[in-house]
Amino acid sequence: MSSQVVPLVRMSGMTKQFGAITALDDVSIAFNAGEVHGLVGANGAGKSTLVKVLSGAYAPDRGTIEIDGAPVAMHSTLDSRRHGFEFIHQELSLVPKFSVLQNLAMGNWQRTGFGLLTWRELRVRAKEVLSTLGLTQPLSTPVAELSVADAWLVSIGRALMRDARLIAMDEPSASLSGEECQRLFAVVRELVSRGVAILYVSHRLNEVVDMCNVVTVFRDGRVVDTLRGSEIDKPALVRGIVGDATVLPVVAATGRRIAELSDRPALSLRGLSRAPLVNGVDLDVMPGEVVGLTGLVGSGRTEVLRMVFGADRPTGGEMFIDGKPYRPRSVVHAIREGVALVPEERRSQGLFLDKSIDFNINVATLRVLRSGPLRLLSGGRRVERSERMVKSLGIKTRSTRTPVRQLSGGNQQKVVMGKWLVGNSRILLLDEASRGVDVSARVEIYNVIRQQAALGAAVLVVSSEFDELTNCDRVVVLREGRVAAELGPDEVSESAILAASFAEHRDARPIPSLGSRS
Amino acid sequence: MSQPTATAMELETPIAPYVDTRRRSHRALGVAGKYGTIIGLALMIVILSIAAPGTFLSVDNFVNVITQNSLIAIVACGMTLPLVVGEFDLSLGYVASFAGVLSVGLMSHQGVPMGLAIVLAVLIGAVAGIVNGLLVTQLRVNALIATLGTGTVVVGLNYAYTNGVPVNLLPESRGFVNLALGKIAGIPNPVIVMVVVVIVLWLVLNRTVLGQQMQAVGGNRDAAELSGVRVERVRIWAFVIAGLCAALAGMMLASRVGSGQLTAGDGYLMNSFAAVFLGSAALRDGEFHILGTVIGVALVGFGFNGLAILGAPTFFQYIFSGGLLIVAVALSTVARRYARGS
Repeated sequence: MSSQVVPLVRMSGMTKQFGAITALDDVSIAFNAGEVHGLVGANGAGKSTLVKVLSGAYAPDRGTIEIDGAPVAMHSTLDSRRHGFEFIHQELSLVPKFSVLQNLAMGNWQRTGFGLLTWRELRVRAKEVLSTLGLTQPLSTPVAELSVADAWLVSIGRALMRDARLIAMDEPSASLSGEECQRLFAVVRELVSRGVAILYVSHRLNEVVDMCNVVTVFRDGRVVDTLRGSEIDKPALVRGIVGDATVLPVVAATGRRIAELSDRPALSLRGLSRAPLVNGVDLDVMPGEVVGLTGLVGSGRTEVLRMVFGADRPTGGEMFIDGKPYRPRSVVHAIREGVALVPEERRSQGLFLDKSIDFNINVATLRVLRSGPLRLLSGGRRVERSERMVKSLGIKTRSTRTPVRQLSGGNQQKVVMGKWLVGNSRILLLDEASRGVDVSARVEIYNVIRQQAALGAAVLVVSSEFDELTNCDRVVVLREGRVAAELGPDEVSESAILAASFAEHRDARPIPSLGSRS
Repeated sequence: MSQPTATAMELETPIAPYVDTRRRSHRALGVAGKYGTIIGLALMIVILSIAAPGTFLSVDNFVNVITQNSLIAIVACGMTLPLVVGEFDLSLGYVASFAGVLSVGLMSHQGVPMGLAIVLAVLIGAVAGIVNGLLVTQLRVNALIATLGTGTVVVGLNYAYTNGVPVNLLPESRGFVNLALGKIAGIPNPVIVMVVVVIVLWLVLNRTVLGQQMQAVGGNRDAAELSGVRVERVRIWAFVIAGLCAALAGMMLASRVGSGQLTAGDGYLMNSFAAVFLGSAALRDGEFHILGTVIGVALVGFGFNGLAILGAPTFFQYIFSGGLLIVAVALSTVARRYARGS
């Protein structure tokens, strides 16, 4: 990767340790203007740490940063911003109540002679930026009313307001639907053509192959491979990311056999509704069956799971467990019926980050631990149960007393699953279980799902990832809160899912039709 | 214990072109927080022992400090629970005062038998806790505001009940003072009560479903909800237990003083807060826990005792008290941030 051109940024010999863990080990890397540079690797491989060092959020233990060939010190995020570097994280740093204009203005305020804010020039600039991004909403629209995709574009817009020279994006497509992704990619291409350098951090390798000019593969804090142009292909990336570790084959779909033996669904939904997002969903899940539930963001997938889990009340329709009417009054009630939910937002809804693995595994099933005349919790049983989960799920950790914050994303997700598996849940609801999880952990998670199904659990998997859906026995596609299609194992294909998701609507954001329940 | 310090030292290798000193000082502060409270306690005892060998370093004084602070320890341990679930309770000092007045008043004014008066006085703490809990969970009033409000209402009730005049113990119920002044096997009763409260609350927090659920609610309320924790019920319980402890301490205080003083327990609030926050930085990274609270109370207790022995003027005691609170909260916050590795 030697080039005569001086790269925009060159980082050399970057090393960063956190306690005993080496997050970055002598990493050297260069980013050029007008290129999309992909950073891939398992969670904990070092790509996020590198980005954080570049942003000034972390100080490296060793190593130098050069910008346009001149060494610079990056002491804080303000320093990196001064150099025109912008960082867009998965959790967007927009203020939902503020309008698009207010959000774009943040950090770009212009003042009059009296120190008051002036909006006139900002407005002009903001309009330019929005047209670059292809956003047509008025500037006064509150960000809370935008789709996730549009909010992403506004974040990029904020970077553009500052004439960013480099924009780092962390999993930009994670919560976008297929069509929304295409809009994002178009914007990225436009930016690159204007000479902006893009750092593209993603687990979605298909995108990386499509979008990136250069890809750097990280493993265990080191750069293991750098691919350019036509060298970039998916098998090469997977080899680099996984290394010598062999990818476990997914357990064969044994679930369907059990499903055929049983004639009564473990979970049935009939006309399940919650206005305005869910408008009458019919669905059956047999014991031992893994059913995929997909659709665009906003199609009502998550809402269906939350109702089954007792977290939201339906406004209409019925639910049955083992053929018996099931009306969950609360999450506690649902759990007692053997229902478990692995929620969409792992860190904010699934985990107690500062608590130990022991705590997280046992928190939903504490009653089991009571013993003795005082009904006090047994510490020994607690550890024994979490050790069992660590072993059976392959959670990589030194001790069960480790706070889950210190685990990688994949291992964190296994802890969330362990919380339910330790308590014999019969109906497993998983919402985007493999999001932000690296390739090998993803395979392990699919295996766990399959094993549970083989043991007789009914599994309902909400996912936007095609790979994950191909592991299901059946895929149900929702559109505007209704079942749009049901695809058998031979019918599941990316195009069939997309066709069902988008049918009739060319707009990426379906408008939920109010009051049209049949 | 010395390992983190070693890592901090290694950062100073000349190879590093620049080292962010703020981060390093954070790290040092994190260590200081985790063990600093205990080191601080030890240092304070050593320094005071040298400064006032005859008066400070004596069995009598130590027994005195422990007895004096046993009641504040009860308040502080109770206060730990709302903090564990992520709430504040500012009413506890006033609840303690009212419980003290009520215990004496019920005997002197209403002629209630001593045993019943004691139980009712302690139960008033549970009532205050339920009110606080309902305000916070049902009406969604910010806990600081809600408990400040109930606390002030309690002050009002206190004045209404007494007409602003302290309540004295009638001669026939002099036995009440034995509750606080008596001893069992040579150990003062308040110390025994404190030890029982500490053990019970430690067990509640670490070895019961309720206590684990409190920690879950404090750790991540959404995740707790989705793990089947009845979040609101758990939060109400935290306020109720805190109120009970405060009322128990207030009643014991009235027994020690031998009368119901209107503002006797008010001072418990600030010093308990300082103790709980100091304790949260001890051993664990900014997490509130009972053992830490006990260490915090010891630090605060010996500090004030030392100041008194050294003859510090009153104004300085206030400065010490306020300063300690600020230092305690800062240490607790830094310890938490350090634990998260930012």
